[in-house]
Formats: sequence, structure tokens, C-alpha cells
Amino acid sequence: MAALPEEPAEVVAVKPDPDAGTPPQQGRVSHCAFASSFRLAYKLLLYGNTFAVGGGVVVEDQPDVSAVLSAYNQQGDPTLYEEYYSGLKHFIECSLDCHRAELSQLFYPLFVHMYLELVYNQHESEAKSFFERFHGDQECYYQDDLRVLSSLTKKEHMKGNETMLDFRTSKFVLRISRDSYQLLKRHLQEKQNNQIWNIVQEHLYIDIFDGMPRSKQQIDAMVGSLAGEAKREANKAKVFFGLLKEPEFDVPLDDEDDEGENEEGKPKKKKPKKDSVGSKSKKQDPNAPPQNRIPLPELKDSDKLDKIMNVKEAARRVRLGPDCLPSICFYTFLNAYQGLTAVDITDDSSMIVGGFADSTVRVWSVTPKKLRSVKTAADLSLIDKESDDVLERIMDEKTASELKILYGHSGPVYGTSFSPDRNYLLSCSEDGTVRLWSLQTFTCLVGYKGHNYPVWDTQFSPYGYYFVSGGHDRVARLWATDHYQPLRIFAGHLADVTCTRFHPNSNYIATGSADRTVRLWDVLNGNCVRIFTGHKGPIHSLAFSPNGRFLATGATDGRVLLWDIGHGLMVGELKGHTDTIYALRFSRDGEILASGSMDNTVRLWDAVKAFEDLETDDFTTATGHINLPENSQDLLLGTYMTKSTPVVHLHFTRRNLLLAAGAYSSQ
Amino acid sequence: MAPGGSAHVNAEWEKGMVPFRAFPGWRFHCQSLNLILKKAVWWYVTTILEDAKIYSSHAKKSSVDADDVRLAIQCRTDQSFTSPPPRDFLLDIARQKNQTPLPLIKPYSGPRLPPDRYCLTAPNYRLKSLQKKVSSSAGRITVPRLSVGAVSSRPSTPTLGTPSAQTVSVSTKVGTPVSLTGQRFTVQIPSSQATVKSATPTTPTVQNVLINPSLIGPKNILITTNMVSSQNTSSESNPLKRKHEDDDDYDNL
Repeated sequence: MAALPEEPAEVVAVKPDPDAGTPPQQGRVSHCAFASSFRLAYKLLLYGNTFAVGGGVVVEDQPDVSAVLSAYNQQGDPTLYEEYYSGLKHFIECSLDCHRAELSQLFYPLFVHMYLELVYNQHESEAKSFFERFHGDQECYYQDDLRVLSSLTKKEHMKGNETMLDFRTSKFVLRISRDSYQLLKRHLQEKQNNQIWNIVQEHLYIDIFDGMPRSKQQIDAMVGSLAGEAKREANKAKVFFGLLKEPEFDVPLDDEDDEGENEEGKPKKKKPKKDSVGSKSKKQDPNAPPQNRIPLPELKDSDKLDKIMNVKEAARRVRLGPDCLPSICFYTFLNAYQGLTAVDITDDSSMIVGGFADSTVRVWSVTPKKLRSVKTAADLSLIDKESDDVLERIMDEKTASELKILYGHSGPVYGTSFSPDRNYLLSCSEDGTVRLWSLQTFTCLVGYKGHNYPVWDTQFSPYGYYFVSGGHDRVARLWATDHYQPLRIFAGHLADVTCTRFHPNSNYIATGSADRTVRLWDVLNGNCVRIFTGHKGPIHSLAFSPNGRFLATGATDGRVLLWDIGHGLMVGELKGHTDTIYALRFSRDGEILASGSMDNTVRLWDAVKAFEDLETDDFTTATGHINLPENSQDLLLGTYMTKSTPVVHLHFTRRNLLLAAGAYSSQ
Repeated sequence: MAPGGSAHVNAEWEKGMVPFRAFPGWRFHCQSLNLILKKAVWWYVTTILEDAKIYSSHAKKSSVDADDVRLAIQCRTDQSFTSPPPRDFLLDIARQKNQTPLPLIKPYSGPRLPPDRYCLTAPNYRLKSLQKKVSSSAGRITVPRLSVGAVSSRPSTPTLGTPSAQTVSVSTKVGTPVSLTGQRFTVQIPSSQATVKSATPTTPTVQNVLINPSLIGPKNILITTNMVSSQNTSSESNPLKRKHEDDDDYDNL
């Protein structure tokens, strides 16, 4: 529900009529007729847009020349800004306890916007004294922003800073209960508080919800991003979070399995039946996207074989739980000299790749089987193509080695990703390119140029063919391996996109950013369907649960937040880590969530317990928040420390063994 | 004008460091880092002020004023730094890109890669074929050349020596101090081949003369000389062309 300005725009100052004897009308003073009419037109344009879009997906950020211009207009007298702010502060501090927490949300955005306005309109001394007086009152989690702000003292400083400019032109969203809002409005509409009211209307978007006012704890859990919280409309679009139907095929009984015990043989026989049952239930899943919603590559024979392997391994999988914790196997990169910047492990845990700050990409084989490249064309023409082991024969034994080094990038490699069929490897780097390498010839095939700035993360789709990359230019791009230009551009973040992940059904992409929000994008049309706020620092890790319903995010603030995608709500907060969380992974059946951090620990959390008994009914989805229980300690199943190796990557094998990777750092 | 020089300069420096003091955490505990920071600031400020001086003298002003400094800063930042595109631009291109539907995937198309010219799969080398080698040796121009005693110097381009039709003395020059004192190489060339006619299409054939090492004696140098008729014959153009082809001129493929 949008907060409409109920007052019309300022009335033009009436010029005194020299002929008339009556004094001029005392109206509210505006600067000039042009500015006021312009502002009115802008407001109609803005609200007109939101109403036109209506239900469904909201395109909330319309580029608007008038929006840019009017954001730089000045409200009121610069010397009185301190008065306005301290007046509001006094009012809020004197208000009832239950409302105080919610109204205190106003402090930070008002402070920043007023300061930036003073700086932009070149009132340096007023800006400085304003900052000195009020910066200590702000919340502790805004300290980093305030430090940046303190160095912006002149208009010229703002020009190159895209994040600051975006902040100025976008409205900071606040979510306040109806009662508190009434209180605020009544106060601000009093005559002497006009200017603050104008500023509030100019720069803030107040999203009203019906319900109990929130407590300080609840608010603290959800604020922190650069653009405030998320409007309820932004999280109302329907998201198909179900999984795609797996194709049916019979799992053949292998000789291997027959050798095993009868108990193993029995579940094997049951397996094909189980598959058909599973697929029937998925047919009616209303939350799953239609199979052809986005075009996906067809299954090749090698993919089918892989899936059969997967099913076999799944049967041997360890069932994890609070009483059955996974074993953790840690791969330490020695002598990397703090140069290890990215790690990935294939799905079947056969290869591990490391991206390094010296711009190399190194691939190791985890299994005893060495890495081989295919033979040259001349040799390939000599082999017998009809033989059963042709796939072995095309490999050149002379090139067998445990390590392959791939050269090509001209900057540190910040992200790596194996393709699901293990034929390709992606790497993205500070030089602005994403490179596709072949794991059959160990050479570079394509360099995708689109980001002209460092690319921070990349990932292949779970079905292959598509991949996503996100970088310093604040957008994430969707590519296909056979198009040299991106297919989709996901623009909307206010700062760098630091982490990009595909949903298991490949229809959605989650991006975490340095503006402390996580957004969920629809691959089909590029729309942002969810915005999740609550982290207090840039997000560095994302993980979807295997059933596709939940998302776990980790950031530099050391908290892991759990989100329900369907309802668009925060459903859990896991506290415990003391440093940036770089790795998050759910176990194969979603029972355990593992998190790895710069504080040299791996922590295991009980995911089943975290997601059960959620009170997500219509009421809570309307208000936009649920009561989060303080149960981090109950959910923590174990903390495992390495000596001095930050954990950079986590991976559950198909049998639920946890693999972890990091580079030994001697300090 | 190094920082940390006279006391006067130091005072100026401390004034200049004020904005850094407002920024907590910029004071390093290590003294040398402070110095490096000061030097970096000094270098930057000096560069800007020099540019500003140039701009103000161009505008024929008597002194450097704030506008000149602003212009200098602007030009430097445009040169050195680019910032990512602004938000409205990004939203615009995103809207355009996102309108086109996702392309359908062709089945059974092998490795799905972009067209070859967008890939890095083309070979970046070219093998020299053997055929070329044989024919080009006939047209090879002397490399290296040899100085033969105190022979009259010849220009470096291969031209015929004395205009006698019967004998041609080939004298070559080379940097290496190989002296074959007193020896003079004269090579007998059949007269028909030695006629020099610039415009004749039937060009005199060029002969490759291999001088037997035994002739040279203990020096044991093999010289491949090439008598080439004067510049404008087409036969000359052929060996020259081949020579250019032997160069690493892969762009002309």
C-alpha cells in the first residue's frame, strides 16, 4: 500500500498586488512555479507508473529524467536542516515505546538524504556541522556507510560514485505499521514541520502494513540494505519454486549390485518403481514451472548414464540428521600464498578446480584416475570408432597428469564453475571476461566479453548450456554457451553483484550484492521477482535447498539468513560465525546446512528443524515478517575448526560426505 | 620539492593531510607507509597543479584559479578512471535485451559454441609447407654477405656488378670479419643469362651459385649467392615476393 501524498504540491507564492490594499495570502511557500508544477508532474508520473503495472510483477525502477532532476531540488533552508532533524528526533524519542522502534527507522535515511542534499547544493559548512552533530546517533550496522559518507564533502566527490547517485535517485523503503504511520503523519503535517514532511515525501517510500508494530529486534533483523527494505509488492509475484520433472528411465541392475548383500539388492529392484511414483506426484505440483517454460538442452546418452549413476549413488547415500552428522574431508591448498580466489568441485566429486590471483586456473583430479586430454586429429582417425571403449581410446595416455594448468586470463580469477556433464569449465576474472574451457582438450574455447569490469562470480545452470555471471557493473548477465552476447541482463542492484546462483529448476537466478540485498530474477523475462533484505554487509554466498523452496544466504556480517521463496519471507537467522561466510551448501536431501567462513570453521545446522512449523499464513505474508525464534544455538549441530585455513568452498558428495576446500594461510 | 623537506613545507603538508584525518583508519602505524602515502598525495597534487597551470596559461589568465584546477581534475579522472554505466542506462538496455524471447535450442548440434570468429579455437600458427622451401631457395637472396678483401664496395641491394656481359664479379659485404684476402670470386655466367634488360618479359633466369667450401679454404663458409638482375624485372619481383612471403606475414593469408 503506497503512501500517497495527501496534500497537493506547494502552492505558488502569491505576488502582492500593488493596486490592491489587502496583504498577500499566506500560503505555503515554494521556490518557484516551475519547480512546484514539475514536482507535481513527477509525483503523478511516479505513482501513475506503479498503479499502471498493478498486480503481478512490479517494475519498480523506471528511469525518469524528472526523477533525477527533482531529487536534486532543495527543500527548505539549508541552515535549518539541523533544526528539522533534531525536532524530529525529539518527537520520536518522546513517542510511545511500541512506536519508537519503528519510527527510529526514519533516522538513517533522512540523515543520509539531508546530508547528501546539502553537499550536492554546495553548502559545505552546513553539511559538515550536520554530519558532526548527528552521525553518532545512527545504528551500528550503518557505520561503514557513514565512513564513506564522511569523505564525501563536495559535489564533485559524488559524481563518479555510481552507488551514491543510485541511492539519491531511488527511494528508501520503510515498512511501518499503520498506527505508527498515523502518528508520524499527524505530527509532520503540523505547520512548523512542513519541510521535514516534504523531505520525507521526496526521498522515502513508506510501505504501510496492518498489524502490530514491530519490535527493535524484528526490525534489526530485516533492515540494513542500501535501499531500505523491500515493498510487499516486490515480493508478491508468483514464483515457480518446484523442481522440474525428472525423465523416467529404468535403472538397470548391475553386476556390482548383485554382488552386494541382498538388502542392497532389494532396494535396487524397487528403485524403478519408486521413480515412477515420484514423477506422478510431481506432475501435479502446482509450484513447479512447466517443462518448456525455458528451453533446456535435451538429454544426451552420456547424461542419461550420469543420471543412472546418480540414482545408484543416491541409494548408498548416508541419511544425515542431528544424530548422524556427515564426515568432513578438507582439501587444503598449500603454497597458494593467499592467491586462491575461487574453488569448484564437480557434482560427482571427481575433479576440483582452483582459480588463483595469478590469473591461472588449475584443475586437479580428486580420484586416482588422472586427467587426460583427447588425442590429436591425426591419431583420432586411426582408432576404431565402433569399439565399446571408444571413449577411453580417444584419450591420449601420454598427456595423463594429475594437474592441468589453464592459462588465458589477464587478472585474478574470481569464480569457477564446472558444467554438469564435466565437459566444460567456466572461469570469470577481474579482466572482465568469462572464459569457457574444454576439459577434453584443456584449452580455452571462448571468451565472453560483456562486463567491462571485474566479474565476481559465475555459475553453470544445473542442466548445462546456460550460465550466469555477475560483476562490478551492478548487473548479472545470463549467457548461453553458443551466443557471444548475453541473453538476459538483470539490472536493479545498487552496487556490485558479488554472488550468482541458479535455482535447481534453472528458471530463476539469485544474486547477492554489495548493496546488502539478495534478488531473485526470472530467467524467462528478466524481472526481479523477490527482494530479500536483512544482511548488514555484502553477500558472498548463496545456496538453494534441494527441494527448491528455500534459500540460504551468508554475508560479511557472519549471519546465515534463511528465506522462504514462495512467500518471500525471512524464516530463520543463524548466528554463530564471527567472520565472512564464503561457503554455504545444503546436504543432498536438504537435512543439513553446512556453512564455511573466514573464521576458519565449518558449522553444521539442522535444516529440517529450521524449516518445520513455519507460521506462514495469509496474515504473515501480508505483514511481510514472521516472528523469528532465537534458536541458533539449538540448530547448531557442530563446529569444526581448521588450524588456520579459511573455508572457501563446500560440497556434499552424492553419498553425503562433506568436502571442504581452502588455502592455508599462515597468519 | 620532496615532502619532509623544510619546516615550511612540512606545515603545508600537515594542512594538506587534514582531509585524511577525518577518515579514521587511514593513519598507519608504520612510519614508512605514512611516507609513501604522503608521496603519493604529493605526486597527485603536483600533476593536477601542473595541468592547471597549462590550462590557465592557455586561457591567458594571469594566475591559476579554481576553474583551472577543476578542469585539470576532470580531465585526469576521465583519462585514468572509467566508472560503470549509470543505472538508467542499464535499466534501458536490460529492458531491450529481456524483451526478446529465449532462443530455442537445436537438438543434436554437438558442442554448442558461438560462430568460429567469436571463439578462440582458430589456430594461431601456420606451418611452412615443404614445397615452398625448395622453390624459394632458388630465389633466396644472400644472407649473410661476405667481404672479400679490399674489393670495391657494392651497394647492399643485389645488383649486377661491372657491366661486362661476360663476367660478373660478385662482391659482398658482411659484418663478420671474415677476410679472404686476395681472393676474388668471379663467376662465369652464360652471356644469355646475364643480359640485363629492364623491360624484357623474358627475364634472365636467376642462378643460384653455391660456392664450394673447399674453395674458401679453412674458413669453411658456405655462401649462397644470388645474381639478381636489376630491379624492375619481374623475375626479380618473384624472388622478392617470395622473400616477403617467407617473412612472418600471416595477415596476408
